[in-house]
Amino acid sequence: MAAEDLPSEFDVVILGTGLAESVVAAAFSRVGQRVLHVDRRSYYAGDWASFTFNGLLSWIQEQHVSTSLLEEGEELICLSNSDSGSIRNVQVFCFTRWITDCFVTQASQTQGEEPEADRSQSEPAKKKINYAQLVKEGRRFNIDLVSKLMYSRGSLVDLLIKSNVSRYAEFKNITRILTYRHGNVEQVPCSRADVFASRQLSVVEKRKLMRFLTSCMEETEEQRAYKGRPYLEFLSDQQLGDNLQHFLLHSIAMVTEDTPTEEGLASTRHFLHCLGRYGNTPFLFPVYGLGEIPQCFCRMCAVFGGIYCLRHSVSCLLVDKESNRCKAVIDSRGQRISCSHFVVEECYVPANQKKVATPSRFVSRAVLITDSSVLHSDSEQQVSLVTVPPIAAGCPAVRMVELCPSTMTCMPGTYLVHLTCQSVGSAYEDLSPVVTRMFRTPESHDRENCPSVLWCLYFNMADGSGVEVEGHDLPSNVYVFSGPDGGLSHERAVRQAESIFNKVLPDEDFCPPAPNPEDIIYDGDTAASTGGEDEKQEKEGAGGEEKNEEGEAGEEEKKEEGRAGEEEQKEGAGEEIHEKEGAGDLAE
Amino acid sequence: KMAIRELKVCLLGDTGVGKSSIVCRFVQDHFDHNISPTIGASFLTKTMPCGNELHKFLIWDTAGQERFHSLAPMYYRGSAAAVIVYDITKLDSFHTLKKWVKELKEHGPEDIVVAIAGNKNDLGDIREVPMKEAKEFAESIAAIFIETSARNAVNVEELFQKISKQIPPLENPEGDSNESFKLTRQPAPSTRRCC
Ligand SMILES: Cc1cc2nc3c(=O)[nH]c(=O)nc-3n(C[C@H](O)[C@H](O)[C@H](O)COP(=O)(O)OP(=O)(O)OC[C@H]3O[C@@H](n4cnc5c(N)ncnc54)[C@H](O)[C@@H]3O)c2cc1C
Ligand SMILES: Nc1nc2c(ncn2[C@@H]2O[C@H](COP(=O)(O)OP(=O)(O)O)[C@@H](O)[C@H]2O)c(=O)[nH]1
Ligand SMILES: [Mg+2]
Repeated sequence: MAAEDLPSEFDVVILGTGLAESVVAAAFSRVGQRVLHVDRRSYYAGDWASFTFNGLLSWIQEQHVSTSLLEEGEELICLSNSDSGSIRNVQVFCFTRWITDCFVTQASQTQGEEPEADRSQSEPAKKKINYAQLVKEGRRFNIDLVSKLMYSRGSLVDLLIKSNVSRYAEFKNITRILTYRHGNVEQVPCSRADVFASRQLSVVEKRKLMRFLTSCMEETEEQRAYKGRPYLEFLSDQQLGDNLQHFLLHSIAMVTEDTPTEEGLASTRHFLHCLGRYGNTPFLFPVYGLGEIPQCFCRMCAVFGGIYCLRHSVSCLLVDKESNRCKAVIDSRGQRISCSHFVVEECYVPANQKKVATPSRFVSRAVLITDSSVLHSDSEQQVSLVTVPPIAAGCPAVRMVELCPSTMTCMPGTYLVHLTCQSVGSAYEDLSPVVTRMFRTPESHDRENCPSVLWCLYFNMADGSGVEVEGHDLPSNVYVFSGPDGGLSHERAVRQAESIFNKVLPDEDFCPPAPNPEDIIYDGDTAASTGGEDEKQEKEGAGGEEKNEEGEAGEEEKKEEGRAGEEEQKEGAGEEIHEKEGAGDLAE
Repeated sequence: KMAIRELKVCLLGDTGVGKSSIVCRFVQDHFDHNISPTIGASFLTKTMPCGNELHKFLIWDTAGQERFHSLAPMYYRGSAAAVIVYDITKLDSFHTLKKWVKELKEHGPEDIVVAIAGNKNDLGDIREVPMKEAKEFAESIAAIFIETSARNAVNVEELFQKISKQIPPLENPEGDSNESFKLTRQPAPSTRRCC
């Protein structure tokens, strides 16, 4: 089929399909902006992507080829089309036993090793998985480049629900929180029921913990007195004992020993606040992996008329010198596409246009495929967050997420383990000491009872929180998003998307709910929503918000009318919003 | 009272073969030459009886993402069935269909029911894809085959009936206490309170 030309006029052109870009694409499209969303890769989500096992092998190979296409014309800004160093230090190891060729790539960093360790006799005869099986069952893996979790009351969950994008995906609870301590993996009690059921804690400890968790929900004089001083100091002055102090610092607040008290407390409160909304821990994980989330927002954008084009990039911006605004872009096929706004992922911005040329911080990542869980329990389908405090002074704290096959991210009989920390050295240097301690690999000793690592990958990724998004030498209507950060939450990406949306369209609602499928009625050549369901939902919302919503709604209606003639295609969306207003009136 | 079973069905195929028109015919019994019904419609639903169950189809349209070959894999995640549509007057669209079969084999759900729909069969006089060839191809991959006309309401209902019949009976859910769920405005009331 011959390649079709893209339309040549859009309101917003977005380059890169990471989370923040995808959220903002959905937001713009949802309120009637004509959006062109492109990515030079053949897959969605950029550094937020997830891959099948075989897809990941190809990705690994790609990381070794980095071509830089920097060119400069007098009126042109050439965007970089290379990976511009967001990924480094890729190393792959394969430890499956009965395979002759376990090399994954021929690249120099790649190493393959065979474990010589003998299986102990006592171990039940378990069918071992070999490399060929990993490849054969490769499609059952969905391996995320980024490892994060969703706080049940975090901004991403709120946004998914508010916008109705949530109906494109399903989620699972993180079922338990574990921590590594004195060479053992222990479960962290984090709800009232857990505390009472805990067999590790003494009655005194249980009482102390309950008292602490209750008291820390509100700010007290005592807490304020510790402002600026380490949370650890505050905790140790509470006479909680080593056990509780470890849990509270590393697993509940998830902070380091020198984090100030006010931050430690805020973090503890957020954790507690998120408990019990969906499950027994504060966290959710999307079935099929995090890479689904950007795709869900992209679908919402497309559903409202956004145009999608993978394997397609923007090579230059055409800048009006006088106003310093980007008037159009030239795409990778040489087509001129005019736009009023241009949104771009940081990695596409050429080095000579940046304030700081290279990312200042990196995240260290490891991905392991293992044969059993780090902590056995009645259920094999546990999804665990494991906090690993620094194993020695100067080492980073490591966050580990262990996913079971029912999350649809790994094949039956395996677990997918993600390790993440702030880089001190290379990913291998930072994380392999933790891997050898907690898992069985050729380098580990006396780890017969630990899960065996079948295959593992180490790499560093630029830390989005260490990336400048402002102050680049770019036109005023060009907006830059940083890539993923190393933190556990998605706050940063969602906040960035919302702030840029508000900058461009200060009077529009950010991701209002899309109509429900049952409410879409075809009437002639327009689709209209009766808004019945929305009305119900609106009513269920907090009473205090109602007034505010109405005000915004009025604005929206005016805009919709103004636009109605401009673009026929958008009539459906416009109609729907109109209808919703009607419903709102009725509700009053 | 019959149990309602929600089944995701996704439509695949080249732009312009009539995917949206088939959905529109099935769900609304309506046809329009210039519809753009995907705008604003995340998916559409229609319920059909099947044996002692009710099948509620959640029908996902591509939202045009296929136009520049950029459909996201999340589109066919968890689909119980896929309808791959080609246009009987466009040989190219039949070749694309074969690519989709391959794509589903590699990346789609394992037990997905595949149906092949040769649409626009009201335009028999300019046909490019012989029915026999398409039928044989469908048989070779154990797929449902039917020629449809969204325009004249031919075989659209039948297409979905055939799919309904092929859906395997509900398995007993495994002993996974951590079932997956959808996020909704009103989260399921929890017995746990936070500390
Ligand atoms: C998520 C997804 C969505 C897809 N959607 C469609 C679709 O809607 N319609 C469709 O015809 N195919 C679609 N495809 C099929 C896809 O285009 C081809 O299967 C794939 O590119 C490989 O084709 P090939 O091996 O025959 O290589 P070739 O056909 O030799 O392709 C070589 C190059 O051309 C590009 N290419 C391949 N097919 C096309 C095409 N049809 N149009 C433009 N460029 C192309 C490829 O990206 C590649 O770079 C889709 C594939 C995926 C994974
Ligand atoms: N003659 C005829 N035209 C059809 C039929 N189905 C769809 N069309 C037309 O084909 C074009 C593309 O249809 P559409 O549903 O938008 O295709 P999609 O891109 O696959 O969703 C439209 O002009 C439809 O009117 C059909 O059964 N017969
Ligand atoms: Mg369509």
